[in-house]
Amino acid sequence: MNSRLRQMLKLLALFTALSLTAAACGSDADTTTDGTDDASSDITGDIFISGSSTVEPVSVRVAELFEDVAPGVSVDVEGPGTGDGFKKFCAGETDISDASRAIKDSEAEDCAAAGVEYTEIKVGIDGIAVMTNTASPVACVTFENLFNLIGPNGEGTTTWAAADSSLPDAPLDIYGPGAESGTYDSFIEIVLEDLAEEAGVEATTRTDYNPSAEDNLILSGIQSSDTSLGWVGFAFAANADVKLLEVDGGDGCVEANADTIASNEYPIARDLFIYVNNAKAAESEALTAFVDFYVSDAGLQTAVAEVGYVPLAEAARDEVRSAWNG
Amino acid sequence: MAMATIGNSGAAERRVEDEIFRRGRDLRGSGFRTMLFAALAISILFLVVLLIQVFVDGWPVLDERFGDFWSGTLRSRSSDDKLGISQGMIGSFWIAVFVAVIAFPLGIAAAIYLEEYAPDNIVTKTIDIAIRNLAGVPSVVYGLLGLFLFVQTRELKDSTLYAGGITLAILVLPIVVITAAEAIRAVPSSLRQGAYGVGATKWDVIRTQILPFAAPGVLTGTLLALSRAVGEAAPLILVGAITGRLAPRDGSFLSLEQFSDRFTAMPIVIVGWVQESGRDAGFSAAAGAAIVVLLAFVISMNSVAVVLRNYFEKKRG
Repeated sequence: MNSRLRQMLKLLALFTALSLTAAACGSDADTTTDGTDDASSDITGDIFISGSSTVEPVSVRVAELFEDVAPGVSVDVEGPGTGDGFKKFCAGETDISDASRAIKDSEAEDCAAAGVEYTEIKVGIDGIAVMTNTASPVACVTFENLFNLIGPNGEGTTTWAAADSSLPDAPLDIYGPGAESGTYDSFIEIVLEDLAEEAGVEATTRTDYNPSAEDNLILSGIQSSDTSLGWVGFAFAANADVKLLEVDGGDGCVEANADTIASNEYPIARDLFIYVNNAKAAESEALTAFVDFYVSDAGLQTAVAEVGYVPLAEAARDEVRSAWNG
Repeated sequence: MAMATIGNSGAAERRVEDEIFRRGRDLRGSGFRTMLFAALAISILFLVVLLIQVFVDGWPVLDERFGDFWSGTLRSRSSDDKLGISQGMIGSFWIAVFVAVIAFPLGIAAAIYLEEYAPDNIVTKTIDIAIRNLAGVPSVVYGLLGLFLFVQTRELKDSTLYAGGITLAILVLPIVVITAAEAIRAVPSSLRQGAYGVGATKWDVIRTQILPFAAPGVLTGTLLALSRAVGEAAPLILVGAITGRLAPRDGSFLSLEQFSDRFTAMPIVIVGWVQESGRDAGFSAAAGAAIVVLLAFVISMNSVAVVLRNYFEKKRG
């Protein structure tokens, strides 16, 4: 009788051993490293980056390019969101915080209270695209139009004309990011805030739109209705089958494209930042080298463009470099 | 005898037979049958549609670059040759090991105690109900527990493989206890009584009769629990599995250092890539391929469960 139990154990041991060897063989393949023998290849260290999921791909791309230059530095990146990132950053848990907006006063106070000093580095620009279905007759909207349509005063309206009498009488279905999103905050800040103050209402969106944390769902919502309206990061909308609306921020209708966003002509754009912990940068050669690399053209130009954002203009890049180099 | 009488008079037999199997006699019965079949068809249809869609999405990746995809890592662009799932597979493999090492012995031992030793009183009943409820608690809640117990209370507030592994082990513990207890309960009492009758002690009975007899059921339950753990994303998101980039590590896949290192896992890789697909559409193919690999991983684990169960069932036969 005892032998049964022993056989069972043997079988289990065999199974475990088999899966271990199988897995071990599998891992041999992925430990091959690039044989770069660059001068800075002797720097070693660990860097941990957290923060905005919008900026995450930029930092990941920079880390990938940096790996070829300094293979001894390991860079890990996660993207729980700008706010969560700053919580970790101000607690000293991360070396760099990705942010899709500038640090808030309350967050800066937290950092100060914890004795965390930082350098703010602008790395690129993400336009926010306002979009509709390709079948929609609307071509250009003003900030006032957007405020009437999406702001709190639009609550309950079901056609474009009901929200704003200058617009066509067509059904209105609004899709956008939810309140947890950096894109949501930026949209309110850039488009709605001033007009809401003038109108004496709270700077927020109407509550009866279709919020989604998934940009894909916002895009498919736009595609599902002929006269839909929505907003999402430019990088997400640029290649999608939707119609990007021209936006009039007071200086006439401007089309949303990489040039108009980089030149600040397109009115709804937000800056992307990284925040570097100064004390850690002073201690760590690896972190300094990484940020140096980040603000070089390989980072600010190549990496930013490769992952679909708009690089800063030449002058702005120089400004960033001099800010970092002190 | 009655059968023989009917059998002798062929006409009467045929009449009865015709009456029983007449079309339209059992309308409600056939309606019910159709309904049941429809229920089955609908559930399978959803699964098939899902599988087809995932396969169609992921096929280009699996077909063209499976080797690179298998050994690749998290990358920023879907067109990258080095994009792949090795880090996710390593994380998921070790999570499975954690579950096997922690949840299985604890869960099976708890089940044996509950079924064989615990007195039949209100305390035992309460514990039993509590375990059943725990099995139904949403997995995010376990994620919060893991975040609080294994991430935030540590000095270096960091998300490690062992935080994720232990969290998922705790998540499936109630399932292991319940399935093991059911398997033990199903052991025929004649088996125990026979053993007691020839003078066996309680320990002998459990060791030589109950455990071997219950082994197939226990095994099936535990391996199903393992599949559940490997597929969970929500608790790992809270515990802080990495979505963006994990730098290549020194040391082999088997090194123990990685338990206190950052990690990622297959469900997290899939969630991350689905989100990235809005920015870079090629990620949806990568996500599809990763889902296919995870499905294959889970299905092969379940097949091992079936094979082992059959093996033990034959042995006890």
